[in-house]
Order: sequence, then C-alpha cells, then structure tokens
Amino acid sequence: MATHMEHSYAFFLGCIAPNRYPGCEASAIKTSAKLGIELLPLKGASCCPAPGAFGSIDLNVWYAMAARNLCLAEEMGKDIALICNGCYKSIWEVNHKLKHNDELRDGVNEVLAEIDMQYKGTINVWHLAELYYDDKICGVKKVADSVTRPLTGTKVAVHYGCHLMKPQKDRHFGDTENPMWLEELVGALGAEPVQYRNKMQCCGAGGGVRGYDLLHALDITNEKLINIKEAGADALTEVCPFCQLQFDRGQVEIAQNFGKKYNLPILHFNELLGLAQGMTPAELAIDLHAVDCTSFLEKIQ
Amino acid sequence: MVEKNYGNPELENKLRDRNYYVTDSNKDFSAEVKKLSGTISHMCYQCGTCTGSCPSAPRSSYRIRVFMRRAILGLEEEALSDPDLWLCTTCYSCSDRCPRDILPTDVIMAMRNLAFKTGHAVPKNFLQTVQLIYKTGHGVPNNDANRAVRERLGLPRDPPTTHTYPEYIPGIQKIIDHYNLKAEADRILSEE
Ligand code: SF4
Ligand code: SF4
Repeated sequence: MATHMEHSYAFFLGCIAPNRYPGCEASAIKTSAKLGIELLPLKGASCCPAPGAFGSIDLNVWYAMAARNLCLAEEMGKDIALICNGCYKSIWEVNHKLKHNDELRDGVNEVLAEIDMQYKGTINVWHLAELYYDDKICGVKKVADSVTRPLTGTKVAVHYGCHLMKPQKDRHFGDTENPMWLEELVGALGAEPVQYRNKMQCCGAGGGVRGYDLLHALDITNEKLINIKEAGADALTEVCPFCQLQFDRGQVEIAQNFGKKYNLPILHFNELLGLAQGMTPAELAIDLHAVDCTSFLEKIQ
Repeated sequence: MVEKNYGNPELENKLRDRNYYVTDSNKDFSAEVKKLSGTISHMCYQCGTCTGSCPSAPRSSYRIRVFMRRAILGLEEEALSDPDLWLCTTCYSCSDRCPRDILPTDVIMAMRNLAFKTGHAVPKNFLQTVQLIYKTGHGVPNNDANRAVRERLGLPRDPPTTHTYPEYIPGIQKIIDHYNLKAEADRILSEE
C-alpha cells in the first residue's frame, strides 16, 4: 500500500471487527484511504483487552496488556487509530493513565521488562470517527466531498455508545447528554439523522453483562430499539462493533426470548460511509449481519 | 461459583437487611476500594443521582447507590457477595452525572477486582475471557466461516494480530502469568 498519504496511523483492530464483522475492517481501510488517512497493520496486537470482562478481574493485568499493544505502536512511531469504543476505553484510557501516573507506569514497565518492552508514552490514540470529524485531519466537508452515492431519503439514528465519550471529565468530547457531532457526519453522507428518546443510553452489553445475564442485557437493548423505531429510523449507525453485535445479533435473541421483531439494519459508521462512497454490500460483507439490511439498501439504490 | 444465584435464602435475607452493624465494617475495605478505583468514594452524600441514571436499575435489584454506601461504610461482605455487583454495564452515566464528581463505575470495577482477589464468586464468562486471551491473544478469536468472508473481502484470512504472528503470544502469557491470572482462572473453573 502507498505510504505517501498525509496522515498515517497504526490500525488497532481489536477482536469483534476482524473476527466477527470483517466488513468494518475492510471499509475502515478503504474509506479512510479516500480521505487521505492511511491505516497500517499493527503487527502482533492482541485483544485490547476487553475492559469489562478482563478489567473486572484484575485492573493491573488490563493496564499491562493494553500497554503492550501501545508499545507495538510506539515501536512503529505511529499514533493508533481504532474503530471500537471498547478498544478506545482500553487503549486510549490506559495510555492516558500511564502518561499521567508515574506509580502506575513504573509498575507496568516492571512487568513489560520481562518481555523486553518498555512503555514510553510517545504516541496518542484516536477513534477513527473523531479523526473524520477533526478539521485538522479530515473534517465533515471532506467526508461529504467523498460521497458518490448520497444516502438521500434515508433516516438514520445514531448510537454513540459509552466508552468513547464517557466519563466526560476524563475525555475531550464535551457534552455527553446530547452530542450532535456524529449526526453531522451522518448528515454529510446525505442521510437524515433522527433524534430519539434517551439517545445516550447504553446498548446493554458492556461490563461483561452480555455474558453474565443475557436477558438483562437484551432488555436494555430492547428499550433502545423501541425508542429508535418510534422515531422512524431506517437504520442505526454506531462506532463500536461490540454495540453492533449487541444490536444486530441481539435482535435475533430478542425475537427468540421476547417475541419482538424490529428488523432494524445496524451499520457501523464505516460501513455506512463505505456505502455512501460507492462500495457494494458484498464488499462490506453486509450478508454477515444477522439482521437483513435489504430494506435499507433498496432505499439508496 | 455463581450462576446469578438469587436463590440462596440466607444471602438474600442478609442483603435485604438494610440495618447497619458496626461489626460488619472493615475500614481497610473502604481504603482499598478508594485506592483501586482512584475515585473519591468517601465524598458520596447518597443523593441517588447515580441510581436514577442507571440502565440496570429499572430491570433488577441492582442499586449503585447501595454499593456506594457499602464502599463508605466498609461493608465488604455485603458488597462482594451480592450477585448484583456484576450487573453494571460500565456505561458511566452515573459517573457523568454524580454531583460530587465521583466515578461510581470505577468503584464497581474496584469491588469486582477485590471479589476475585478474595475468592468470592466470579461469573464464569469473565474467567473464560482470560483463558481465551491467554491461548490466542483474542477474547473473541477468528473462525473458519469468518476466514472465508475475510478472503472474499480481499483481507488476509487472519488479521495481522497475534492470529498471524503467534510469536507474540508467549509475551502475552508472561504478562498474565506474572499476575498468576490464568492459573487462578483455571483453578476456579475446574472447581465447577
Ligand atoms: S450520584 Fe454521586 S453523590 Fe449521589 S449517591 Fe451516587 S455516588 Fe453518591
Ligand atoms: S456505569 Fe454501571 S452503575 Fe453506573 S449507570 Fe452505568 S450500569 Fe449503572
């Protein structure tokens, strides 16, 4: 791949995107290239590791494992870009904590020394969506200019998820009660962003709850789906493959357990951007989604 | 180990009893929660904004404010044996709204760490994630159906992670072994 793009990042993949929704990975690479952002493989990266399931057991191991991933990017001399809120929680937050807490950093480096690595604190971590929104890197206008098949006539609801913007006081995104920046990006694709009740509510899957008590997690998801449907959305977009899994496969599980059907297509923002830039559903492996996206795809033909 | 077991009458009665017994208090517990969480849990004035913001509260007996009270009063056993401890989705809504600038979510994370450390029941799925990451580097590993789709998309069959470069896995195992985490997970899961 060309190495002359203006902005290049180590692409941290995580687990769910490459191993369950590879369309997210493929579209992230292709859509970003069209926006002058190059995503390079981060060789040897692991799970971020899962902030809920893994961090709940032992935070110190969570710090050390995330730090190992950070070291790989430090060795490349590249900032990390990623496409998952869960990964953001681990990779961004541990980077932030280690940069600002000497005691924590020393502890982590003691462990990393056993595998001949050292965390130095030389890189930054970004969610790809925030890079798209950032005028210095890309900006909404550039995203709009890259569109060749506007999503005109569709209504798209946005799920921000939790771990990108919250906790607000430790992040840099501002308002977490009713943010609108992702809606701006959706609007840039020609779709109409719709507002719905309790937009910032969690998908229900986080903190290990999906694995611990599936029905409890699904009940939270179900509440969101009711609110989104009520607003007349044709699809839901998000920036987290784990939320995507919960909304997408979750709809099948909700049908099985609660007898309710929503048929709401769930698309990662990169998949949505891919469609708007003219990628075909096959190039995005949309058929891997549990919920049939045909209704939405027909609207944009 | 729990299954989410609310069918233990003795535990249920104990958790239902909201009286405060000085003898149940363990000051060290409060201090440890504060240290591990890195948040000012002792500043909580029990206003309930956290519970009011919590997506788990309306559909269960889980009350984050109750756990905050336990943190302040040092009610270790009550906190660590309550199956509700594992119903927090870590959404941080409570943390964004707490008028005292506390991060109740991180109090829950600290308590979960302490539950594991002190041998209290920990849900299986958390430990299985540890095992999977130890073995493959991924909490959610690749599979053949997905490999075929990746190929179709023009991606390598395995992502350029530990899946393609397994030589990185021993380093990961060293980190996890440093904390004896895998051995503990194996032990607890085999006691099933
Ligand atoms: S919102 Fe904050 S101060 Fe109020 S009860 Fe919850 S933790 Fe305590
Ligand atoms: S972080 Fe946990 S306790 Fe706080 S509102 Fe979310 S689910 Fe409830």
